[in-house]
Amino acid sequence: MSRFEAKKPSLCKSEPLTSERVRATLSVLKGIVTSCYGPLGRLKQLHNSLGGSVCTTSQSSALLANLSVTHPILKILTTSMQNHVSCFSDCGLFTAILCCNLIENAQRIGLTPSTVIKLNKHLLRLCISYLKSEACGCRIPVDFSSTQILLCLVRSILTSKPASMLTRKEIDHISTLILRAFLLTIPENTEDHIILGESIIVPLKGQRVIDSTVLPGILIEMSEVQLMKGLPVKKSDSLKVALFCASLSGDLSDTGEGTVVVSYGVSLENAVLDQLLNLGRQLVSDHVDLVMCQKVIHPSLKQFLSMHRVIAVDRVGVALMEPLSKVTGSQPIGSLGSISPSSYGSVKDLCTAKFGFKHFFHLIPNEATVCSLLLCNRNDTAWDELKLTCQTALHVLQLTLKEPCVLLGGGCTETHLAAYIRHKTCNEPESILKDEGCNQTELHLITEAFCSALESLAASLEHDGGEILTDMKYGHFWSLQADSPSIVNWPDLLSRCGCGLYNSQEELSWSFLRSTCHPFAPQTCLPHEAAGSANYLTLDCFTAKLNGLQVAVETANLILDLSYVIEDKN
Amino acid sequence: MAGPVSVKAALEVAEVLETIVSGCVGPEGRQVLCTKPTGEVLLSRDGGRLLQALHLEHPIARMMVACVSSHLRKTGDGAKTFVIFLCHLLRGLHAVTDKRKDSLISENIQTHGRHWKNCCQWKFISQALVTFQTQVLDYVMDQYLSRHFLSIFSSSTKERTLCRNSLELLLEAYFCGRVGRNNHNFISQLMCDYFFKCMACESGFEEVFELVDDCFVELNVGVTGLPVSDSRIMAGLVLHRDFSVYCPADGDIRTVIVTETVQPAFSTSGSEFILNSEAQFQASQFWIMERTKAMMKYLESQNVKLLLSSVKQPDLVIFCARLKGISVVECLSSGEVSLIQRVIGLSPFVLPQASSQFEISNTALVKFCKPLVLRAKRYVHLGLISTCSFIPHCLVLCGPVQGLVEQHKDALYGAFKMLRQLFKDLDLNYVTQTSDQNYTSSPLIYKNSRESNQLPEVVNGSIQSPHQGTIVKNRDELAKTQTYLKVYSNLVVPSVELETRILCSTPKVTPTDTYQTDETLRCFSPNKTGIIDNHESFTESNSANSTTENTRIEISYENLQVTKTAGKGSMLPVRYKSLEICTSQSYCFSSIPAGCVLPVGGNFEILLHYYLLNYAKICQQSEETMVSMIIANALLGIPKILYKSKKGNYSFPQIYMKALHALQTSQPMVSSQTGLESVVGKYQLLTSVLQCLTKILTIDLVINIKRQPQEIYDQDSEEEL
Repeated sequence: MSRFEAKKPSLCKSEPLTSERVRATLSVLKGIVTSCYGPLGRLKQLHNSLGGSVCTTSQSSALLANLSVTHPILKILTTSMQNHVSCFSDCGLFTAILCCNLIENAQRIGLTPSTVIKLNKHLLRLCISYLKSEACGCRIPVDFSSTQILLCLVRSILTSKPASMLTRKEIDHISTLILRAFLLTIPENTEDHIILGESIIVPLKGQRVIDSTVLPGILIEMSEVQLMKGLPVKKSDSLKVALFCASLSGDLSDTGEGTVVVSYGVSLENAVLDQLLNLGRQLVSDHVDLVMCQKVIHPSLKQFLSMHRVIAVDRVGVALMEPLSKVTGSQPIGSLGSISPSSYGSVKDLCTAKFGFKHFFHLIPNEATVCSLLLCNRNDTAWDELKLTCQTALHVLQLTLKEPCVLLGGGCTETHLAAYIRHKTCNEPESILKDEGCNQTELHLITEAFCSALESLAASLEHDGGEILTDMKYGHFWSLQADSPSIVNWPDLLSRCGCGLYNSQEELSWSFLRSTCHPFAPQTCLPHEAAGSANYLTLDCFTAKLNGLQVAVETANLILDLSYVIEDKN
Repeated sequence: MAGPVSVKAALEVAEVLETIVSGCVGPEGRQVLCTKPTGEVLLSRDGGRLLQALHLEHPIARMMVACVSSHLRKTGDGAKTFVIFLCHLLRGLHAVTDKRKDSLISENIQTHGRHWKNCCQWKFISQALVTFQTQVLDYVMDQYLSRHFLSIFSSSTKERTLCRNSLELLLEAYFCGRVGRNNHNFISQLMCDYFFKCMACESGFEEVFELVDDCFVELNVGVTGLPVSDSRIMAGLVLHRDFSVYCPADGDIRTVIVTETVQPAFSTSGSEFILNSEAQFQASQFWIMERTKAMMKYLESQNVKLLLSSVKQPDLVIFCARLKGISVVECLSSGEVSLIQRVIGLSPFVLPQASSQFEISNTALVKFCKPLVLRAKRYVHLGLISTCSFIPHCLVLCGPVQGLVEQHKDALYGAFKMLRQLFKDLDLNYVTQTSDQNYTSSPLIYKNSRESNQLPEVVNGSIQSPHQGTIVKNRDELAKTQTYLKVYSNLVVPSVELETRILCSTPKVTPTDTYQTDETLRCFSPNKTGIIDNHESFTESNSANSTTENTRIEISYENLQVTKTAGKGSMLPVRYKSLEICTSQSYCFSSIPAGCVLPVGGNFEILLHYYLLNYAKICQQSEETMVSMIIANALLGIPKILYKSKKGNYSFPQIYMKALHALQTSQPMVSSQTGLESVVGKYQLLTSVLQCLTKILTIDLVINIKRQPQEIYDQDSEEEL
């Protein structure tokens, strides 16, 4: 019998953004994400008071997944960021900070939400069309014939995640590995349709980062005992592989919805075991060298196979099935009956390997797009962080392959974009005013709010109390050390801009970022040679950042548009 | 616990709801964030959803919410307007009764007695409301409002075809009230594109609506984490799951649907399988295996490349399918199966139980089937070849959060519901009773159809010419169409006046048309039903003008039409309707024809307000006058809210005065907003609100009981439907 319980009435609040509590929680969230941002970001330690593992991180994906927010508005904000991150892996903090900034600034100017939303959307459109246009001054096309830009991109991602605790040398090493792993997943014979392979990250904790490596093929962890049994004798130039997805444990399969009555003295286990041994005989007569099973193999069958010098590996797990089928070219077998020879696959070679204290079987493929990235780090939390970072980097590389361009990092894109938008709305406001039906003051106020949201986003890269400057030619981001003497020659103090594209010896003029400066037109059209010359550029993923920008503005608009919050208290 | 129900209490409740709802009504409305007990966060501007999310405790509030949701089930639109209108009605009633109470107090009766007395009075008012709703409202709609109606169909062609421009205007206005301010343009454009892409031929739109309405869940995919502008339409059908086996194939792909496992089980439900020996077990396993293989081999031999299954298939089937190169999709929902069946006309393949002979007759071809990856999640993308007038397309709806995607889904679903309503004729079931003296004084002359062709001559010779050659085919099988001709003995109409009026209402003059789509929007006569061929000379003579007040007689030449009844082409009955403004004897089938729209921005409300006031002026019974006045004034509440934020020339008083002036001088009304709304929806809303109000007024006591009144609840829901 179901139990009826009276529903409690919901709680309905009007104008949620005006409440002091919401503002306070929003600013706490903003404080958390802002302090994590960038290579100099501070780390957050997440733990519960009951013990268990501790997570040290500065990444949005780990941070937002573990934070439990209760207020519905914050929930909207955080889920929006998490959804973005799960699509694009990168630029989560960027999105979160920008969204918080936009909400805060819009509240400060106190215009009606409808005007703010309308104009925010218009400004977003301006940004996007600029970033996508040829004239964009902060976008670099990617040349896949050289690894330089890709390497810079991976290195920027690794640098911006300080919680993985890497030294400069280690960063270089890991970035090379990631890039190599990525390149291994690209098939050699390219048709019209490229299907990327997979890089499997194999954990090896407690080792030096420098020991990390990339291997083509698949590593399967083994116990030492199993390795002692020895390797099969290679009869030809490759080894025959059978891959099972059906269980070989001898359990009864589903018997249908009715009942099965077994007479006394009839042992179904024996019957099934007979069947398994028959299967084993067939495998041996088919000269199979390696049997792998997703589930469990019955010990008797294992024994039988090892007597015939066939290696049996069980409990491979469903995650490895697809790469295994790809590497060996075999089809997962789902039947205990006769096996058609076409289901078998092969590997070039099988060898054992020992990394750290772990033993592995290494399946070396003839030709495949699967590789294993053996990732080492000193401790668990740092390893977790490094793994997330590597996944992000691999994903970003894939995204870059789809849309071959990158954005300048290190805050330069943001300041440049802000300068562009300011200039644009100052110089040609007529079209906007006509389209959106607002007046000059409103446009000015909202543009200022939008641009300062972008600029303070860039400024949150600086955590040590330094000053942020912008140059009046390119609109790039320059940071000044906190304890620098007040009256000196700026070119001597500033060496390079945030992304590393320009150096300070170019006769530039600077101004403080937060001072109200006259709108200027930042130089568009990036010089081509500039992209090639700089070795250590800081770069960001184009697709992820573009989407982050859109999602941030859309989410901010959504939150600003709320007139009521109805909380179901059941 | 018991408490008396009073208008005051109901008004208090309604006012609270109104404050919440009025924040999100109209194009300037804002969003509301709802949390569910599960922790999900939902964004909404949908009135029905908001009211439900509130989990109201107050009994009257609960009744209102129930009324709103039953209205929504029917029409899919208008929850917010419902609340606002109801609130204004209650306010009006409260104001009226307050005045009366003052006089009652002097009589010095006991409070309890007064309560019961009040109830009697409410009962009285509610009866007046019912009368109003069933008689007056339909009458006013039919007689006065109908001439302002525009149609969503383009009239240039003979068939009913949808005009894209009008549809866009209609949808835009709809989404203005349903989705966030930033997205309504985009979403309405998306919906319009979707609709026209799905439509195989111009005339088959009804089937498209029906199918989309029924299978909406299966026809869209929500993707979170992307901006809304990434939403798009995809040709074909997207199934919300991945392939179990995917074997790429070129060309047209032969498909079967199964609803059970291909592999026979040991025992079916209700049966017993007795195992006597190990050999028997092995043999039966072997048989099962062989049979499964044979079945798959047979499918392969029939060139089947895609197996759609509504259940999970065993490993063996999957394995065999992979060997045979057959792609498999498992665990289809019943909705998906029925959609596929409807679109490609494919019924499930029934597996033979015992015989080893397979006979497969139900296969169909699909253009392609391939995996589709949307944001790391994998889907099956099928290119169905449609056999009906619906070309399958899928909506991919993107948004940064699930709540927003849900909102857009709901809004689109509601829009389809609204359109489906719009394209149905709505019969106004008004049969006006005559008062006796009128009945006797108006001799009825029943004439043969052929004779009635000469009818204009009877009235006045001068109006004959514009009516000649007006042939309108009415394919609607109004079997009971009778020819009524009523000639009043005291009919004195100056011939000149009649002539001018008829000239006024020729179709070329489109008085309320202020859009670019001039040729497509036109006045439709109110009693035109079904499919009507418009000939060039079709004349619509709607002379129900209020300018004939001096003669006190109104004659409407409602659509002088020659109706051709099915079967007998020679019989051409003419429907000629004559109506007096007060009470008249007439038996007519009036209806709001399919596709009637009015410009947005409170046009409907202001028009109805105006005509109701006019009606009230000449109404004799005081109760009827009062009810009409209250309703007329309450109607203005909606445009008042819509124009709240507007200033200057676009403020409500300005708009209202302009509209009144235009109506009084018979000039076209100028609307400040573009966009259209469905008349049927508005009409249904009005009746629903009146029904709800009647319900509130007829209840005299609320009794709180501990158990749930199960049976009564059931009856209630039947009534609502």
